[in-house]
Amino acid sequence: MKPIYIILLVLVCAGCKKAPIISQTSDEVTIIGYLEKDPDHFSDFIKILRITGDEGFLGVYGSYTIFVPDNAAVASFVKNTGHATLESIDVQQLKDVVKFCILQDTINTTAFSDGKLSRLTMYGQYLITGANNVGGETRITVNRQANILQANIRVSNGIIHVVDNVLTPATQTLAGLLAGNPKYSIFTQALRETGLFDTLNIPASANTDSTRSWLTVLAESDSAINAAGFSSYAALKARYSHSGNPKQTDDSLHLYVNYHILYGVKYLADIVMSTSHTTLAPLEVVTAKLSGQKVLINDDDFNGVHETGVELERSSSDNSATNGVLHHSLGHFAVKIRNPVPVYWDVADFPEIRNLPAYFRKQNYGFTLTNMPSGFSVPGPSAMTYTVGSTYVNGDYLMIPLGGPGRSAYIDLKTPLLVKGKYKVWICYRVQKQSNSSNNLNQISIDGEVMQRTMNFTTAMPATTEGEMEAQGWKWYTDPVSNNWGARLVGTIEIKTTERHTLRFTTLQGTQNNNNLDMIHFIPQDMDQLYPRFKSDGTQVPRP
Amino acid sequence: MKKYILIITLLLTSSCSKWLDIKPQDGIIRDNYWQNKEQLKAAVVGCYSSLLNNWLVSELFVWGELRADMVSGTLNTGIDEVNIMQANILATNQYTSWSSVYSTINYCNTVIDYAARVMETDKTLTQQALDGYLAEAHGLRALMYFYLLRTFGEVPLQLKATDSDNSLDQLDKSSQDQVYAQILQDLSFAESHALETYGSSAQDKGRLTRYGIYTLEADVYLWNEKYDKCIEACDKVINSARYGLMDGSVQSQWFTNVFYLGNSAESIFEFQFDQQQLNPFYAMLIVANNRFIGSPRVMDEIYGIDLTDATRKDIRGDGGSIRATDQMIWKFAGATSGTNPTARGAADSWAHWFVYRYSDILLLKAEALAWINRGPEALDLVNIIRTRAGAIDGTSEAPDPGSAIDVSNYILNERAREFAFEGKRWYDILRHAKRNNYAHLEIILDMVAMTAPGNMQQSIINKYRDVRSHYLPINQYELQADKKLVQNPYYQ
Repeated sequence: MKPIYIILLVLVCAGCKKAPIISQTSDEVTIIGYLEKDPDHFSDFIKILRITGDEGFLGVYGSYTIFVPDNAAVASFVKNTGHATLESIDVQQLKDVVKFCILQDTINTTAFSDGKLSRLTMYGQYLITGANNVGGETRITVNRQANILQANIRVSNGIIHVVDNVLTPATQTLAGLLAGNPKYSIFTQALRETGLFDTLNIPASANTDSTRSWLTVLAESDSAINAAGFSSYAALKARYSHSGNPKQTDDSLHLYVNYHILYGVKYLADIVMSTSHTTLAPLEVVTAKLSGQKVLINDDDFNGVHETGVELERSSSDNSATNGVLHHSLGHFAVKIRNPVPVYWDVADFPEIRNLPAYFRKQNYGFTLTNMPSGFSVPGPSAMTYTVGSTYVNGDYLMIPLGGPGRSAYIDLKTPLLVKGKYKVWICYRVQKQSNSSNNLNQISIDGEVMQRTMNFTTAMPATTEGEMEAQGWKWYTDPVSNNWGARLVGTIEIKTTERHTLRFTTLQGTQNNNNLDMIHFIPQDMDQLYPRFKSDGTQVPRP
Repeated sequence: MKKYILIITLLLTSSCSKWLDIKPQDGIIRDNYWQNKEQLKAAVVGCYSSLLNNWLVSELFVWGELRADMVSGTLNTGIDEVNIMQANILATNQYTSWSSVYSTINYCNTVIDYAARVMETDKTLTQQALDGYLAEAHGLRALMYFYLLRTFGEVPLQLKATDSDNSLDQLDKSSQDQVYAQILQDLSFAESHALETYGSSAQDKGRLTRYGIYTLEADVYLWNEKYDKCIEACDKVINSARYGLMDGSVQSQWFTNVFYLGNSAESIFEFQFDQQQLNPFYAMLIVANNRFIGSPRVMDEIYGIDLTDATRKDIRGDGGSIRATDQMIWKFAGATSGTNPTARGAADSWAHWFVYRYSDILLLKAEALAWINRGPEALDLVNIIRTRAGAIDGTSEAPDPGSAIDVSNYILNERAREFAFEGKRWYDILRHAKRNNYAHLEIILDMVAMTAPGNMQQSIINKYRDVRSHYLPINQYELQADKKLVQNPYYQ
């Protein structure tokens, strides 16, 4: 009898309550949920989302970053666009506004920089960030249009940043921006005459050439061009256009304009983070650096001479367009015509070792994988040793263990600045075998392009006559000469851009420690390959 | 039958005491403590022991160095640490937690609240001895609040011991002036009662003596631009003739005495780590995947390199505070210096944390002198420091002795050399920048322009332009725990 009562009791109790039906996978609040909770601030933005029909996807699972304008921001947006109510604004325009403030990734303010966010907005343009100080108070800014009022609100499907203005995408192309600004009149005319104006006048979304859909223009203002001695477009054309037809791609005026256009969207923050940028001028790069707070273009040391660069003015640069970004160059710059010059590179002379006066040209220093100097990189496990030996050029060389297990398979060396042109490349080393059976055959490649000939650190130079040796790809490079000190010609290479390149030794056969690399010579192919030679104190000995 | 009786008796007797006596069996309660002077001394020593908390010292290093220009991250630097370096500090950052500082403050509060009870039970404790202990607790509390003042600006003043859940207080933030006033109040008690010596060198360096209090006072006064008072406090230490600069003619000896062993004649107050209680620096600075190294400019610019003569070098540079070959932060990492510098092993990572050394007294005084138009005297003091260290000519400057800012900037540079990595650099920069109502904000801006990553430089400069950003936010957990706390405006 008793058990029945108990069962009844259980049934009665349980029957009273309805089993809750779980209809959501998470009870965490979503972006929409968060905004709906606070109608005082976000009711207008919700209204926009309802009009555009974007409410749905922001209310479900996903990972988004959204810059939400508060009610005051929406109100001033409505007013500024000349409308009385939200409803009277064109739906397409509202859709653009919504798409422009959403990114399909979660981006915290800690990932912001001076430049663009790492992701495109759903609209297809980049947002840029920054920080602005007004009256002593700093706010994080977005797209130079709005300040962030409240940052990093984490909800289940992303991150909300509340902003004090509606973000609106750029509407003009680069060409449009330039044409609309009278201070670029000469540069714009040059663009038109070279036909590049049209290249810059296609919105990224409409461009069929994907390599040129996003571009960066370093525009020279009229005053910069005037200061360089060109009073008008005609003067500029007279100076550069050697063929008389700037539309021709090999016309120098055409090149001049092309040289001011970089591939990709590069805000100043992106420009300073890379030392060189390719331009539309074939195989010509501009170099970039940050000096103090200034962004400098083509400010280089070349062959021991400092060449002053031109500054990109921060306040008038970083202008977003529908197909890229426009910067303002304060000075005039053009492709530099340089003839190839020989580079006699003492590989054992680099800033990191010079900063150790107790070691530099005095005693050996073993680098480890964790403190390799900036111009050298190895995959490990072995690194390299800066070694002092009085008979070497400048009394020092690098001992680079290479090859098989226990030693690095290759080493990358960053060359000094090489002017574009054709060079013969000589590897200067002192032959040494770690043991009788040691062997170390290397392939040399520059920027990944394999050189014609290999070299072997354990192979002694076949000493005959100068001419015969040169024919076989050998030379003496020291003074006095010694057959232990050989320079091996590894081939001729065309250096395509004037910048620093990467040279790699990849060991093909054998393995040993005693790879004694002293110098590398890059000598233009039409110059004397055998002289100068070098004394152990570094002085050059010209051809007698 | 007997067996049962026995068992019952056992149960009764043993259980009685458990049920009726509710004192903890593995500890001691307050009513049983504070009975004799040995216990009092143990409690005071406990305050100092709490300083050896590894998280506390990690924070002191991070707070004092990461926002400045002498420490660089590596590939292993944590995300919170990188965010501090890049001026992206949020309330979720673990380094915004102040709990370790308050835990030392609470130890001090406990001593301050209960020490007087010992007088009742232990008649051998003299008033003078009691005051001595109290002075230490007050002094240490002042030091802790001084760290908080410089790091957070406005903090709640917890001045009563929290020894049970009932006494947990919900406190408002106090203003910077209130915190400063409290620090001075603690120090004025401490300076009149602290002992001049505790009888042994190790104790004199590891506990706050009267001269330690004076030094702290000098630092506090300088922070608030009370130059005459700062000089007065410095002179008390100088005139005591108890301290001097260690000879620097042989770098390896100097390094061993001052930094490897610690407790040297020039030391005034140190956190004394030892083999039983290691510091956090082995994992931070010494191991192959260390998180911090000295920045390249430490050797290039701060100490400078004599490229012609390797023997002419600043002993505080290569082998002193940094190992130039791999930029390891040698002050805490080095076991030896000189020609063969080797690093400490895991079991030897007990380098002390140097709060004050005698050179601090000299440079604090110099800085105060500079701002009351006594530039030549200030430069003399700087030269004493430079001569001892063998500073190279390349780093010597010749400021106009009549120009306070020029002399003081030179002192700032000298302090960078003298106190590299001792957790002082950011506070030094901030003190110089904020002087005279932020008349020299450019000191901070120039520094970050140089250290900021190129793609964030402008944002970082603009963030530092807002002087409210110079103080850390209150950690989110503290905001949840104490509902009266309001987040600092910059971080709202």
